[in-house]
Amino acid sequence: MAESVEMNEVGPLMQGVHPSVRGAEPAPPPRNAQAQAVALPAQEAFPEAFPESFPEAFPEEPVTQPEGQPHARRWAARASRGERWIARMLRTGAVMSGGMFVASLALELLPRDESVHVAIDLLRKGAASMLLVTPVARLAMAGTLLGLRGEWRYTAIAAGVLGLLALAVGAGFQA
Amino acid sequence: MTVFLLMASGVMAGGLGALLGIGGGIVLVPVLVLGFGIPLEQAVPASLMCVVANSCAAAASYVENKLSDLRLGLTLELATVMGAIVGGLVAAFVAEAMVAVVFGLFTLFVSLQMLLLRAPVQEPVTTTQYVPVNYPLGISGSFVAGGLSALLGVGGGPLKVPLMSYGMRVPFKVASATSNLMVGVTGAASVAAYAWRGHLNLALVAPLVVGVLAGASVGSRWMPKVPTAVLKKLFAAVLLLVAGQMLWKGGEGLWPSLWK
Repeated sequence: MAESVEMNEVGPLMQGVHPSVRGAEPAPPPRNAQAQAVALPAQEAFPEAFPESFPEAFPEEPVTQPEGQPHARRWAARASRGERWIARMLRTGAVMSGGMFVASLALELLPRDESVHVAIDLLRKGAASMLLVTPVARLAMAGTLLGLRGEWRYTAIAAGVLGLLALAVGAGFQA
Repeated sequence: MTVFLLMASGVMAGGLGALLGIGGGIVLVPVLVLGFGIPLEQAVPASLMCVVANSCAAAASYVENKLSDLRLGLTLELATVMGAIVGGLVAAFVAEAMVAVVFGLFTLFVSLQMLLLRAPVQEPVTTTQYVPVNYPLGISGSFVAGGLSALLGVGGGPLKVPLMSYGMRVPFKVASATSNLMVGVTGAASVAAYAWRGHLNLALVAPLVVGVLAGASVGSRWMPKVPTAVLKKLFAAVLLLVAGQMLWKGGEGLWPSLWK
């Protein structure tokens, strides 16, 4: 059964609703108002000129002035950078020394020759020296970095340890 | 074949040393002397060289992960070096065998305590969640550890890790990582002294260091993941080995007729 809808001039009549509470009815456009649909024919005629999505008119502007970091966060970031430098130095010393020892072991596979023997000897002495210098350099670096952070007490301690080590090695003690 | 066996020993010592912060010399010296028949005067400097290699490789990872406490390490390092110098000075006046027996009994006590007692609380892992306490005990203990290191030729790790962990309330992993950082410096000084006397055999050191570097890099990656309780039990087992070595050494010195 087809549903019949009662119509008037404006639109369908809403059943059960009194005309006084329907709200304002659409008024006719003012006399001198410009029509909104004048551009539509052009958009249909030249679709390439009207892409589906326009780029954002106002992209987010780059922040030219960095936000001021809180003191504690800046301090922690600097400390973290210092620790990364110490770790990097230790790892470089270990890897380079290990690489030289591996190279010396690889050279042992070659036929024995005077030059090969000299190369093995040089590589091993270099590797051992690098390995021995690395922790001492770490100590000096840790003292310097803590000093740069204002913790001079630890710089003095590191200097003291280095001095005592030099004294111990010089005197032939085994620390 | 021997080169590969030496490398394998190095991997084992490096892994264990990196996990526990003891350097690995405790394991390596008996292996070299008893397993490979290397004389003690060559085995000790070679193992010290491995301790330095272990410290460099493992400490790099620990410092990066903020497990090592740089300030605590520097403070205790000063006391250790001072103790080592004093130990070297008084070595002529002290009965080494008696010191070895006392140290052996002490490590036996600590190891049994660690094996039998349970950890009461969950420990923090990073260096930011704790504050070391009882610095006078830590400094004086490190001084003694340095002295024992000079008198008996043992690294300070087996003494310093329990000292930091139990005496200064530092988390066990932080204590282990900090000890690992410290043993490198003292080990380097000791090796330099041996090298100047011509006791450093680089042909022996080369395969050992290669193995130790590999073992230490693996051990330092494992350490943060291994439960602290497991590390403590492992440490206690190694301490038992140290106690056995020290009691043997002391007994040999005190009652030579019984041992021969």
